[in-house]
Amino acid sequence: MSDFSRQADRAITEDIVSIPLDFPHPRLWRLFFGMSLALLGCFFVSAAVLFVDGVGVWGINIPVNWGLAIANYVWFLGIGHAGTLISALLLIAGGHWRNSLNRFAEAMTLCAVACAGLYPILHLGRPWLFYWMAPYPNTMDLWPQFKSPLAWDFFAVLTYLIVSLLFWYIGIVPDLAALRDRAKSRGRQVVYGLLALGWRGSGRHWARWQQAYRLTAAIAVPLVVSVHSEISLLFAAGPVPGWNSTVFPPYFVLGAAFSGFAVVLMIAIAIRHPLGLDRLVTDRHLDRLALFLLATGLMTAYGYLAEVFDALYSGEGPDIDTLRDRLTGTYAYSYWAAVIFNFLPLQMLWFARLRRKPLLLFLVALSVTVGMWFERFMLLTTALYRDRLVSSWGEYSPSHWEWALFLGMLGVFLTPYLLFVRYLPVISAFEVKEAYRKTGRLEDA
Amino acid sequence: MPFDPTTEPNRRPPAEIDRRSLLKLMGASLSLAGLVGCTGSHDENALPYVRQPEGVTPGIAKWYATAVTFCGLAQPVLGKTYTGRPVKLEGNPDHPAAQGKSDAFTQAALLGLYDPNRSRGPRRLGTPVGWASFRRWATENAAAMDRRRGEGFRLLTGPFSSPTLARQIRALLARWPLARWHILDDGLFTAERAATQSLFGQSLTLQPSFDQASTILAIEDDFLGPGPRQTLNAVQFGAARRKGDRRMQLLVAEAVPSATGAVADQRLALAPDEAATLLRALAARLGLGIDAPAPGSQQEAWISKALATAAQDRTLLTVGTTQPAALVKLGLLINERLGALGRTLHFSPSPFESLQAESIADLVADMAAGKVETLLCLDTNPVYHALPDLDFTAALGKLPLLLHAGLHFDETAARAQWHLPLQHDLESWSDARAVDGTTVILQPLVRPFFDVRSRHGLLDIIAGGEGNDDRALVSGTWRNAWGEAFEEKWRAALFKGFVEGSRPETLSPAVRDRSLELETKSPPRQGLTALIRPDATVWDGVFSENAWLQETPKPLSKLVWENVVQIAPALAARHGLADGDMVEVSDGHIRLQGPVFIATGQADETLALTLGYGRAIAGGLSEGIGHDAGLLRRSSTPWRCDGLTLTPLGKTVPLAFTQPHQQQEGRDFVRSVTAREKAVETDIAAADFYPPRPPQDPSWGMTIDLDLCIGCNACVTACQAENNIPVVGKAMVAQGRAMHWLRVDHYTDGPGDAFQPVPCMHCEQAPCEMGCPVNAAVHSIDGLNLQVYNRCIGTRTCSSYCPYKVRRFNWFDYTAGDADSVQAMRNPQVTVRSRGVMEKCTYCVQRIEEARIAADRENQPLGEVVTACQQACPTQAIVFGNIADPGSHVSRTKADPRNYTLLEEANTRPRTTYLARIRPEDGEG
Repeated sequence: MSDFSRQADRAITEDIVSIPLDFPHPRLWRLFFGMSLALLGCFFVSAAVLFVDGVGVWGINIPVNWGLAIANYVWFLGIGHAGTLISALLLIAGGHWRNSLNRFAEAMTLCAVACAGLYPILHLGRPWLFYWMAPYPNTMDLWPQFKSPLAWDFFAVLTYLIVSLLFWYIGIVPDLAALRDRAKSRGRQVVYGLLALGWRGSGRHWARWQQAYRLTAAIAVPLVVSVHSEISLLFAAGPVPGWNSTVFPPYFVLGAAFSGFAVVLMIAIAIRHPLGLDRLVTDRHLDRLALFLLATGLMTAYGYLAEVFDALYSGEGPDIDTLRDRLTGTYAYSYWAAVIFNFLPLQMLWFARLRRKPLLLFLVALSVTVGMWFERFMLLTTALYRDRLVSSWGEYSPSHWEWALFLGMLGVFLTPYLLFVRYLPVISAFEVKEAYRKTGRLEDA
Repeated sequence: MPFDPTTEPNRRPPAEIDRRSLLKLMGASLSLAGLVGCTGSHDENALPYVRQPEGVTPGIAKWYATAVTFCGLAQPVLGKTYTGRPVKLEGNPDHPAAQGKSDAFTQAALLGLYDPNRSRGPRRLGTPVGWASFRRWATENAAAMDRRRGEGFRLLTGPFSSPTLARQIRALLARWPLARWHILDDGLFTAERAATQSLFGQSLTLQPSFDQASTILAIEDDFLGPGPRQTLNAVQFGAARRKGDRRMQLLVAEAVPSATGAVADQRLALAPDEAATLLRALAARLGLGIDAPAPGSQQEAWISKALATAAQDRTLLTVGTTQPAALVKLGLLINERLGALGRTLHFSPSPFESLQAESIADLVADMAAGKVETLLCLDTNPVYHALPDLDFTAALGKLPLLLHAGLHFDETAARAQWHLPLQHDLESWSDARAVDGTTVILQPLVRPFFDVRSRHGLLDIIAGGEGNDDRALVSGTWRNAWGEAFEEKWRAALFKGFVEGSRPETLSPAVRDRSLELETKSPPRQGLTALIRPDATVWDGVFSENAWLQETPKPLSKLVWENVVQIAPALAARHGLADGDMVEVSDGHIRLQGPVFIATGQADETLALTLGYGRAIAGGLSEGIGHDAGLLRRSSTPWRCDGLTLTPLGKTVPLAFTQPHQQQEGRDFVRSVTAREKAVETDIAAADFYPPRPPQDPSWGMTIDLDLCIGCNACVTACQAENNIPVVGKAMVAQGRAMHWLRVDHYTDGPGDAFQPVPCMHCEQAPCEMGCPVNAAVHSIDGLNLQVYNRCIGTRTCSSYCPYKVRRFNWFDYTAGDADSVQAMRNPQVTVRSRGVMEKCTYCVQRIEEARIAADRENQPLGEVVTACQQACPTQAIVFGNIADPGSHVSRTKADPRNYTLLEEANTRPRTTYLARIRPEDGEG
């Protein structure tokens, strides 16, 4: 090993590991953290009101008995998908450029899945009994009803949460050891030391680590496809016009990746400059992410077309009516907002020049995130508010407690994420080094 | 401050409360609240037994025959009680006027008994006092009255049919000859009495036999709509429509859409004044020697159709009692010409005992002249109900002493020195006559909850008595009448629920005077005409405190918790109005403000207003809701008001509908066939991936005959009572959270108007069961789609997946805050649902299980099971039973070629199916 590469190694480690030990913008961080704590407070207040008074404080009703909660559930879970996709799929497929992105993308996945997991529990009529979805031994001798997509949901989200957590944690262990070794204060040495599980970087450690990491990645890869396919069945399995369509699983998976890449892109642009990571998260990375965004976006657009075709080709009256309601009904704004926010700014990404403009990319990604939210909302309400039987048509508008919970949920997302940015290595230092050795270029790392 | 109707729309003058009485009232409410908190006394029998009384088994229901009164007439019922608590009323099957059926008012009378807003004890000047202090006053007053032979004492009652009350009043008047008795009549039978008086020389009650008629012509007569005769009329209508090939034809002409118009084979929308034109033209065509102006082409067509069908067979023409007496008389003459008298139209002596009373106009005149010292308002609320042009409220100012006896502390009570709470019919001894004249002895189902007296007891106290032996007062009447046979007949009457043989013989009176005093030309009208009718759910306000009825949707508009200004689409278009836009209706003096509702099929220049709202003081539930359309009534024309203006106010308020969309949007939820080709077409082959399951015995199923449904809501209210369904209020209903397990959908663009009751379909391939992750929605072996409340965690997937949207969710804890009395009312066989669980129609599984347990115990085959909705349905549109038994009634109805499945394309294979409506043959309609 040459001195040069040792030096480079040290520089990379310094770039990444020095961030938690000597945070570059503590005041800026405190400002953001204070804001996210305020949002978190909003979450606790709106959840408390919800638990005390009941789910009736929301605007949901019969027929639209699922509202923002389920739309946001799907949205958050979708966002989470990009993390796993980047980490696990590209690890196995050998995309070295992932190494600069995977850590913070995975952390984003964890936070998003936690938010997504909270929503279905909060939305229950009797949330304190949520564990009845689990197959646990009980005096009633009851198992979950396995035909229900909700039972699958429960397993899917739980599996996803556990695997993502494992994958992220296994991945971060070597870097935690680096932090431990460089920490100055005794407290930090102890905390990082405990978290690093006694990692010393021996050959055996690395061999075991490789096995564990690759194995978890192998488990995580199918989850990228299966979890959101399953979530889509919550809708597609029901005999509801506008939901009951075989296009839903791929449509949801692609939409999930699409929204996830958008959020990863936003985070990458947001953190790379303040944390001084421009050398590691380069324009080339942004370009790659933008290309992925464009690709998944176009696939999602295909899903839109397929859905329209599906309804028209079926010739089923109720399906065509739901399609018409989507395009022209009370909630047509959500359909057109989804189409415009998702696909219109996206077209700029065809141009390589524009793919390297961080601010523009950030705005496009934001637009996609908003657009995908409208899509989730649209899919939910447009199918329910006008079901088959005209006599039970009704409209839904979210109550202020639903919006408050949504705001609060952003706090649930941001608070742990900001803690992660502040106290843990946001980029996988050793994987970057590994990639650098293999390719000799930081841009490819 | 004097009441100024030009500044205070919608309301009658509120009680004039000065500072001192306000403080008194506040003190009273506080101390009352304290009292209630301490004792919480309702029925002591509801406590668990330490030693079980003989003859009472907890959990085993006992049935008592009695009646509730409505408009002074008895609605005969059987009351189901558990350990002394009445929990359900059902029509008395033996009584000829009920035949086991009932209406929504009768079903909801149960809540009237347990109403937490009922007045709980006597009050003097608003302050709670004991009955002892009232009795002291009454004794002194009686002594004084004895001396002065009743001078200055007046009694005001509503219409009633109780022989005992009449006997008591007669005795009182005999003792105090200068005292006088007045009546505040509801005017429902006034035209009928005047018409028969003029035609036959005696005042009679019309007894139409709709079941004997093959053609019915109804002019401005909503005989299937709410009213004291609704149950009997609907029973007969159902029988007439079920006659297969000889199905009765119904032709209706009316200004405002009604239930009768909705189920008519042909309906003609008329301007209010055109009813006279139509009747005259019909009379002229029948050769009655009346000159008639030529009717319009639509009217001509209606008359031709009427005469074409009328010529075939038995015909009956009915004219609404809201019409002038001369038109009712003309209607009787047409009936005579059609040969209806004695065949489809009979007459009987009036069931009312209150006919001898003097009019309220005399009372008001005497009050104004200062001739009245003491006025007792017995079970009547003249401050709210007296027609405004009588100026009763103004005359009250000159009255030294007002006594009010009623169930609620209402507008009159607030003005009275003494307020005396009365017993509900279900907790009192009394007697009354049903619409057909049959006498019913009312016996209490339960001891009174509150410190209240019966009407008989109260009159007894007024006469200086103790007033605590109502049974003796009532039985005294019948002991005199029956003599030796008393004991036997009394027991039989209590057992059966009515006095056998008390139904008066129908009369065949001879026509004395055929002269008609018809206005030859209808007077020129300026402005709009309002037709004022009792409300379909709160009537004239007697039920405004009944939360079930407030939340029962109006049969056609599906509105709850308010009254509206109902207008025709043309008028709405002219003023640019949409549903919920506020308007002001004014006759130049009185102004009413309310939201409009646009009804298709209404005459263009006509407003439809309903009574019973705009209460100032009613008990607590209904105050401040809606407007008091009664303010526009005049003694000369109590049911209409001419020369009105309509002014949009530029505001819009949300209306609470249980069914916001009432068009089928081109789909065929309500199907129809013609009488000739009876089969419903279907092009959907039932597809199933799985092999068919072997049929289980029993397999429960239901059919609902849309040709028989009159949308009367009896089933809805019966279901509410049977299944402990909570009331959620206007805001919740407006938000789409009504809780009724059974709803009656109404479509205005079917084959005519159409009603479609929708309970749970109990699908054999139920999407809800597939969706539930915790096994709360499961299928029973006999085909019930069950909801297990204590397993439900409230994911609401079942409701998202339900194509019929029949599931109801407990968004909040609707039941925990119920008053003690309301908790005592609950059916112990049905779980009370908590917050966060889904609920829905169970096919009355508690009744099925009861029958099954009984059958198992006796080792007998399972007998007939009757659901609450089916039991109440007066036209027998709902049939429930075992579809595995080919001989069962429901199997026979399922075999009817009219049988079809709602949303058949969803392939859910529901156990609830519908029988298509029968529409007129093409070219006839």
